Amino acid sequence: MSGRPRPVAALVAANLRRLTRDRVGLFFMVIMPFVSIAFVGMALGGGTAGSDRLPVGVVAEGAEGSDPVTTAVLAELRRHPDLTVIPMDDAADLRSGVREGSLAAGLVVPSGSTRLELVMTGTNGSGMAARGAVDVSVSRVAAVLEATRAATVAGATETEAAEYVRQAQAEAGRVSVNDSATTGGDPRGFAYTAPANLLLFTFINSMAVAAALVESRRLGMLQRALTAPVRQRSVLFGEAVSRFLVAAAQAVLIMVVSSLAFGVSWGDPLAVAVVVGVFSLVATGAAILVGTLLRSPDQAPAIGPPLGVVLGMLGGCLWPREASGEVINAIGHAFPHAWGMDALLTLTRPGTGLGAVLTEVAVLAGMAVLLLGGSLILFDRRTRVT
Amino acid sequence: MTATLACEGLRKRYGDVTAVEDVGFSIAPGQAYGLLGPNGAGKTTTISMLVGLLRPDAGTVLVGGTDLAADPRRAKARIGYVPQEIALYPELTGRENLRFFGRLFGLARRGLAGRIEEVLDLIGLSDRADGRLDTYSGGMRRRINIGAALLHRPDVLILDEPTVGVDPQSRKAILDGLELLVGDGMSLLYTSHYMEEVERVCDRVAIIDHGRIIAEGTRRELIAMVGSADKIELVLDGDVEAAYAKLRTVEGVIEAARTGAESVRLIAEGGRYLLPALISAVEGSATVTATQVIEPDLEATFLHLTGTSLRD
Repeated sequence: MSGRPRPVAALVAANLRRLTRDRVGLFFMVIMPFVSIAFVGMALGGGTAGSDRLPVGVVAEGAEGSDPVTTAVLAELRRHPDLTVIPMDDAADLRSGVREGSLAAGLVVPSGSTRLELVMTGTNGSGMAARGAVDVSVSRVAAVLEATRAATVAGATETEAAEYVRQAQAEAGRVSVNDSATTGGDPRGFAYTAPANLLLFTFINSMAVAAALVESRRLGMLQRALTAPVRQRSVLFGEAVSRFLVAAAQAVLIMVVSSLAFGVSWGDPLAVAVVVGVFSLVATGAAILVGTLLRSPDQAPAIGPPLGVVLGMLGGCLWPREASGEVINAIGHAFPHAWGMDALLTLTRPGTGLGAVLTEVAVLAGMAVLLLGGSLILFDRRTRVT
Repeated sequence: MTATLACEGLRKRYGDVTAVEDVGFSIAPGQAYGLLGPNGAGKTTTISMLVGLLRPDAGTVLVGGTDLAADPRRAKARIGYVPQEIALYPELTGRENLRFFGRLFGLARRGLAGRIEEVLDLIGLSDRADGRLDTYSGGMRRRINIGAALLHRPDVLILDEPTVGVDPQSRKAILDGLELLVGDGMSLLYTSHYMEEVERVCDRVAIIDHGRIIAEGTRRELIAMVGSADKIELVLDGDVEAAYAKLRTVEGVIEAARTGAESVRLIAEGGRYLLPALISAVEGSATVTATQVIEPDLEATFLHLTGTSLRD
């Protein structure tokens, strides 16, 4: 009859089973994240990483083909991997396009002059990214013009000068292939909303299940469990593992479904697992903290999810971060979501791994230690035999 | 013989307030022991110290000879504790709740399902075991609450007011079940403020008030503390004054009082056997139309000792 007491297994099994009986909770875990990923993702331009080019309107006053500056600038802009060039006739249309947000930026190229006019509004992320890309393209043209002038001054004919510069460009082009990745800003579409909603829902649903912990306390389940021949820390550990498994299961579900249904590529599996793992620990700590501090189980759904939504907003989980100002994004970095977004978005770029997100992982791990440690100490005090 | 559960000199204070002071008793194997006291007397505090949920400021608890403070896990493994509130998961079925406690108490995986079945049978809920707890009646929840403490075959079952808010039918089922368990040799510590339950279930009773045990013994011993005299209420028809005078002289009557125009109260030894003599004594003056004999009980002892009714 007698075996070893299995408090952790008992608590985990009971808590997970309780979760499966909560239909509203399951709806928020299993259906809502994908509704959110799909709708917000489509609103943000659908698609995955490939289609995240920034629209840049160009008014060319000189004819392409005859005016050398116009020709060169347009060619460079078209060659830039992050930009889509939209030719426009009228500078006024261009300005209103930028103002309305249908264009990330605009460029007016006057005939026979090198004084280009950049049109952009405010300091949002798309505008900054587009400006960076336009700057790169224009400075390449400037470099070509300057090199051609230098070659001509040095005694070359125009044809020879053009040939030298073409050669030099070909060499430089090989070197500068990779810089596109650093100027592109955040990805758009599902590639953005999938990680955003992973963090949002992992956190919100962790907070919602904190209600079950409050309920356990209110019912006297934890006290009763402590009358069994078990250590108190096993009971704490069992409760913590239960919450962590829920958070991790939520994250895995979102990753699997978004990969299969929306074609989202998450990046290096190990690095993603580490980031999602530490984020789940943060969510677990927050859930235990809320579950320990609140008195009534009804308070948890009233306080937890709204808190999760606010932190999600600050961290860029509800809308693209580039739509928020720098102040909001800076405040957001006081909370785990922004760091999680930084890490997950970095990992979606090809060739990145754990090494690229060490800072984010360290910050999240620090938050996890603080929250988990603090909440477990508090939880311990409230359940300890006195 | 080693006591199944023994405590000595238990004390618990909260600041200046003394919740429990110098509480001690001993429960033999197979004995049903009652802890009787009004609300706030210190029953729950005492029990919390016995099951290891509260650390006593002083005193010891021995479970089957094992010191609870020194080896809590070994001591706790022998106790089955039924808290006053229903401490069960409402979203889970009765069977799932029992499985939770089975794992918690370390029942071997192989025997767990069978033992759950046995306990369900014992508490009479085999046919409702797979319904969610929040669909159960109050009495059914109480029974699962007790069943959860029985899975690991404890040596002593500790019940803190197990019939509060239970319908009469479930109460009877619970008390019948407890008597069966005691009959099978389990020790019982039963607290209640329902006198008749304690009188029915327990062999030995301690009366606790203001944190102290003020009397302890078998039911008979406790009742004897207030004497063996019975109270007899008579309703008379006829010349009540003359009849009253005659009744006072009947042998065995200790005291008599007029309690109304037609009623008399007597205090007498062996009241039940005195009735024929009383009825014939009043012949000629009046006739007895109603009688009531009230024998002393724990309630009387309790009132005598504490000066308060149990259900204050």
